Amino acid sequence: MTDHPAPPKDLPKDPSRLRIALQSDFFYSFRRSPVAVVSAVIVLTMVLAALFAPLIAPTNPFDPASLNLMNGFTPPSTPNAFTGDSFVLGTDDQGRDVLSTILYGMRISLFVGLAAVLFAMVLGISLGLLSGYAGGWTDTVIMRAADVQLTFPSILVAMLIFGVAKGVTPVEYRDQMAIWVLIVAIGLSDWVQFARVVRGATLVEKNKDYVAAARLIGRRPGAIMMRHILPNVLSPVLVIATISLALAIIAEATLSFLGVGAPPTQPSLGTLIRIGQGFLFSGEWWILFFPAITLLTLALSVNLLGDWLRDALNPRLR
Amino acid sequence: MLHRHTATALTLILTAGLAAGLTLGAATGVRAETFKWAGTTDPQTMDPHAVNSAPVLGFLNNVYEGLVRRGKDMTVEPALATSWEPIGDGEGWRFHLREGVTFHDGSSFDAEDVLFSYQRASDEASDTRSWFAPVSEVRIVDPYTVDIMTSAPNPIFPGSIANWMIMDKGWAEANATPLPDKENGNYATLNANGTGAFQLVAREPGLRTVLEPHDDWWGEVEHNITRAEMTPIQNPATALAALLSGDVDFINPVPIQDVARLAGNGDVNVIQGIEARVIMLGFPHEAPALKYSAETTDANPFADARVRQAVAHAINVPAILQTIMRGNAEEVAQLVSPAMRGYSNAQAERPAYDPDKARALLAEAGYPDGFSFGLKCPNNRYLNDEAVCQAVTGMLAQVGITANLDAMPVQNYWPELRADNYDMYLLGWSPGTFDAEHPIRFLAATPNEEKKLGSWNFGGYSNPRVDELLPQIQSEIDDAKRQAMIDEVTAILQDDVAYVPLYVQPLVWGTRSNIELTQRPDNFFILRWVTVN
Amino acid sequence: MLAFIIRRVAQSALVLLIVGLVAFSMFRFVGDPIDNMLGQERTQADIERLRVQLGLDQPFPVQYYKFLEGAVQGNFGVSYRQGRPVAEILLERAPATLELAAVSGLLAIVLGIALGVFTAIRRNGVMANVIMSASLIGVSLPTFLIGILLIYLFSVELGWLPSFGRGETVRVGDWWTTGFLTPSGRAALILPSITLGLYQMTLIMRLVRSEMLEVLRQDYIRFARARGLRDRVVNFRHALKNTMVPVITVIGLQLGAIIAFAIITETVFQWPGVGLLFINAVQFVDIPVMAAYLMLISVMFVGINLIVDLLYFLIDPRLRVDRAGGH
Repeated sequence: MTDHPAPPKDLPKDPSRLRIALQSDFFYSFRRSPVAVVSAVIVLTMVLAALFAPLIAPTNPFDPASLNLMNGFTPPSTPNAFTGDSFVLGTDDQGRDVLSTILYGMRISLFVGLAAVLFAMVLGISLGLLSGYAGGWTDTVIMRAADVQLTFPSILVAMLIFGVAKGVTPVEYRDQMAIWVLIVAIGLSDWVQFARVVRGATLVEKNKDYVAAARLIGRRPGAIMMRHILPNVLSPVLVIATISLALAIIAEATLSFLGVGAPPTQPSLGTLIRIGQGFLFSGEWWILFFPAITLLTLALSVNLLGDWLRDALNPRLR
Repeated sequence: MLHRHTATALTLILTAGLAAGLTLGAATGVRAETFKWAGTTDPQTMDPHAVNSAPVLGFLNNVYEGLVRRGKDMTVEPALATSWEPIGDGEGWRFHLREGVTFHDGSSFDAEDVLFSYQRASDEASDTRSWFAPVSEVRIVDPYTVDIMTSAPNPIFPGSIANWMIMDKGWAEANATPLPDKENGNYATLNANGTGAFQLVAREPGLRTVLEPHDDWWGEVEHNITRAEMTPIQNPATALAALLSGDVDFINPVPIQDVARLAGNGDVNVIQGIEARVIMLGFPHEAPALKYSAETTDANPFADARVRQAVAHAINVPAILQTIMRGNAEEVAQLVSPAMRGYSNAQAERPAYDPDKARALLAEAGYPDGFSFGLKCPNNRYLNDEAVCQAVTGMLAQVGITANLDAMPVQNYWPELRADNYDMYLLGWSPGTFDAEHPIRFLAATPNEEKKLGSWNFGGYSNPRVDELLPQIQSEIDDAKRQAMIDEVTAILQDDVAYVPLYVQPLVWGTRSNIELTQRPDNFFILRWVTVN
Repeated sequence: MLAFIIRRVAQSALVLLIVGLVAFSMFRFVGDPIDNMLGQERTQADIERLRVQLGLDQPFPVQYYKFLEGAVQGNFGVSYRQGRPVAEILLERAPATLELAAVSGLLAIVLGIALGVFTAIRRNGVMANVIMSASLIGVSLPTFLIGILLIYLFSVELGWLPSFGRGETVRVGDWWTTGFLTPSGRAALILPSITLGLYQMTLIMRLVRSEMLEVLRQDYIRFARARGLRDRVVNFRHALKNTMVPVITVIGLQLGAIIAFAIITETVFQWPGVGLLFINAVQFVDIPVMAAYLMLISVMFVGINLIVDLLYFLIDPRLRVDRAGGH
C-alpha cells in the first residue's frame, strides 16, 4: 500500500528495479511540467507553513486568553478604531488575527484531509481488491456493506460518530476528539468510492491472461493482488484520491456548516469559511475571502499535482 | 477532430443558451401583489392549542383571536371581550364579550365558543394548559358574558391569556377536532377557523402558508393587503438575499452583522427593537463537583457565590455588545428586560467589568490559579450564541479560569442540560406573560415538580425567601406592594449571583422600503399593521 | 440471470433491514424530540408522558420493530413535527428533489462526458487545459459557499434569478408537482442544479478523460486508426465504449450522491425537497421522518446498484462468464 499519491519526496521506498526506472522518468516528467512544479512548490510551502505555524504566526489564535474582543472586525492593514492595533489580513468577529487563524487552520485542515483520505484508501482498496478477487460471499458481504454505507449521507455518519464519541471520550480528550471524529467520518463516507472502482477494475483485470499466468505459476492471491492487479487499478484510484483529498478538506467545511465540524475555538479552514460566510453581505469580506482563497489555492494545487502525478505514474503511458 | 471540437462547443453554447433563455423568462415575470414574508421557522401546526411556541402563536395571532390581545406597545387591549373586571375579592374575572363577531366560516361567536375553547386549551392533550393552572372554573353567565374563576386572586390573569385563542365550537365538533392532537394531528392541524383579521386559504407545511383578509372582521382595517404568503427560510444568508433581491417583502430576523450595511441600502429598511429575551449564564448550584474539569474534579467552585461574582465581573458585556452585537443590544442586570412589567428600577446596575476584582474574588474563594471547566452553549438558538460563548471563554481565560467550550445544536442542548451535563451554560429567557413573575417561577424557584415550579432551573438554585415571596407576588393585587416584593427577589438573585444576566437580545426585522409595519417586542409579526405603499 | 436478480433482491432486502437497524440505533444521538414538541411551560411530567406516548421509553430494537411492522404495511408513522403521515409528506416533497437531481444529473453526465472526451482527445491543447483547471476551481470550494456565492452574484447583485424556492409549480397527475412548466419554475432550477451538479460533472469529466487517455493508447485503437477508421468512429465506438465500466460505476454512485448532497443545496436554496425535509427532521429530531427518508434513500441506492451491476453484464461480456461459472 505504498503507491498512494504523495508529494514527490515520499516516493515508494520499495527497492525494486521498477522504482529506479520510475523515479528517473518521474523527475524527467516533473521538470517538464511547469504546472506540476508550481503546484508542488505551493503545496510544499503550505505544508511547511502549516507545520511551522506556531513559529510563523503573529499570534496564537487558539489561546483565548490572548484575545481582545475589541479588536474584532479590524479591516486588513488598518488600525483598529478602539485599540489602534493593526493586522495584515484583519481580524474576525472574535478579534483573532486572520493570518494566524489561517495558518493554524491549515494545519488542522491538512491533517484531517490527509488522514481521512489515507484511511478511506487503505480501507477501500483492501476491501475492493478482496471483494473483486475473491468473489462469492466475501464479495457479497463487502458490497452490501458498501450499499449500507452509501445510504447514509456523510453528514449523518458524522453526526452518529460525533454522538457516540461524545459519549465515550474522557473529558480531557474532548478537544482533540472532534478532529478524529472528522477523520473517521469523512474517511468512512469515502471508502466505498475506492472499493467499488477497485472492485470493478479488479473484475476486469483478474480475467486477463497475465493474472491467469501468475496464478498458474503458483503465486499466492495476496501477491497477485498487490503486485499485478493493484498497479493496474491505480489510475482510477488516483483520480478519486486526488479529488478526495481536496474534497475531504471541503467536506470538513460542509460538516462545520451543519454544526458538526472543528470547534470554533480551534477552527480549521472550513470552520473559518463557515464563520466568514456569515459576513458576506455585511462588508467584512476579509473574514471569508482570505480563508476561502487559501482553501481554493490549496485544493487546486493538490488537484493539479494529482493530475500530473496520475499521468506520470501511469505505467501504460510510458 | 475539428468536428468533435465543434460538437463540444455546441453543447456548451446550447447549455449556456438554455440557461440564458430561462433567465430571460425569470426577468420578465411580473411580481404578484401578494405580500410575501420569510421567517426562520415554519409554524408547525395551525392548531392554536397544540403547541405553545412563539412561531405558532405569533403566526396564529393573525388568524385567531383571544378575549384580549396585546397592542403595539404590548398593553392589554380588548379583542373578543370588550371589557372585563375582577369578581368580588379576587375570586375571578368577568369578561363581557363582543357581539356580532363572525368566524371565517360565517358562524357567529358567543360564550359557548369561549367555554369550548377553555376546555380544549386546558385539556391534558393541550400544550397551553399551564396558562389555566390558576383557573378553577369557567361559567357562562349569558351568551355574551363569561366568568373565569381563579383559585387564588390573580391580578395578571387577563394579560396571561392574550394568546389563548378562541375556536368555533361548531366547526371543531363538525370536523372532529374537539381536542388538539399534536402527535397524530387532526383537522385543525392544517385548517383554521378563527375570528382574526386574516383567514387561512392555503397551508403547505414547510413550503408556504397563504392568508387573505377576513371580510367580516369586526375591527377597523389598518392594512391594505389583499393576500399574504409566508415561507420559511432557514439559512440567514438566503433569507437576506431574498429580501435584497425583492423575492420577499419582509424577513425576520436580519442577521445582526448585516444591519449596518442594510441601513445604507435604499431598497430596504431595518426595524430594530429590544426583544423580551434576556441572555444569561447559569451555574450548577447543587452539583458536588465539576464535571468537565481537567484538575478540579472533587469540588464545585461555582457553588461559591464569590466565584459566580468573579464571573460576573470578568465578562466585558459592553465589548460583546459593541462587536458581536454591533451595538444592537442592551446590557441587563436582572432576568427581565426593562420593557417587562415588574422590572426593578432599583436594581438596574450590572456588575462592572473589572478583571482585577474578578481575580481577587477567585483568590479569596481559594482559586488563585483558576480552574478549568466545561461551558455548554447552543449554536443555533439565540442570536450569535456561539460567538458570544467564544467571547465569554476568552474573557474568563483572561482572569484565569479556562472554559472548555462545547457548542451544539439546540436539539442536543436541552437534553444535556436536563442531564446536568454542564459546569456553566448559556440560557435565554423570554417571559411569556411579559411579567417579572415569570422568570422567578421558572428559573429562580426551587424545582418542584408537583407545584410546577422551577422547571427550567437546571442548576437547582434555591433560596427559601424567594420561594416564600413567589406565591405572594402571584396573588398581590396592589401594584406597589407587588413591585416591592419583586424588587426584593431581584436583589436576592443579584446578591446570590444565581445567574449572570448579560444583555437583552435585539429584535431586527428587515423590510422592502415600500413596506410599513409595527414591530412588537414579543417578536410577533402582526399582519394587520402592515401597509404596502 | 434470473437467479442473479432474485439473489440481489434478497440481499437488497437484507441491506434495507440493516440500514433501518443502524438508523434506529443512532437516533438517540441526534437529540431529543420532546423539547421541540412541548412549549416553554412544560413540566417533567409532561415530558415523561409524551415520551411514553411516542414509545420513546422503549429500547431501540422495539422501536425499530414497531417501525418495520408499520413500514411493511406502507405506514411510516406520523411526523412528530407536522402531525401528518410521513408517507404523505415524502410524496409531497419528492418531486422537488427528483426534478433537481434529474436536471443536475443530466447536466453532470452530458457535460462531464463531453468535456472528458474533449480534454482527452485534445490532451495538450490550451482549451483542454483551461477546462481542466477551471473545473477544479468549482470543486475546490464547499458546496454551500458556491451556492451562497451564486445567490449573491445572480440574485442580489444582478437580479437575474430567484434566490430561493421552486418558483411557481404546476400539479401534474395526482401528486406530482413540476417546476418545468412555468418560467419562474425553470428559472428557480438553474442555480441549485449548477450548485448540485458541479462536483459530479468534474468527477465524471476527469474520470472519462483519464480512462480515455489509457484506452486511446492501447493497441486495438492504434490498429483501428491504422485501418483507416475515422476519428469519430474510433473515439466513440471503440474508445469511449471501453472506458465505460469505471465510468458507469462512478455515475451510478454519483446519482446517489446527488440525492445525498441535495441536502446541502436544498438547505442553501430553501428548495422544498426531501433533503430539506430531512435536515428539518434532524433539527427537530423528527424520528419517523428521518427513518422513512433513510429507507427511501436506501431503496434508491440499492436500485441504482442493481442497475449498475446489470449494466456491467451488458457492457463487459467477460463478466458474464465469471458470474455464470462461479457460485
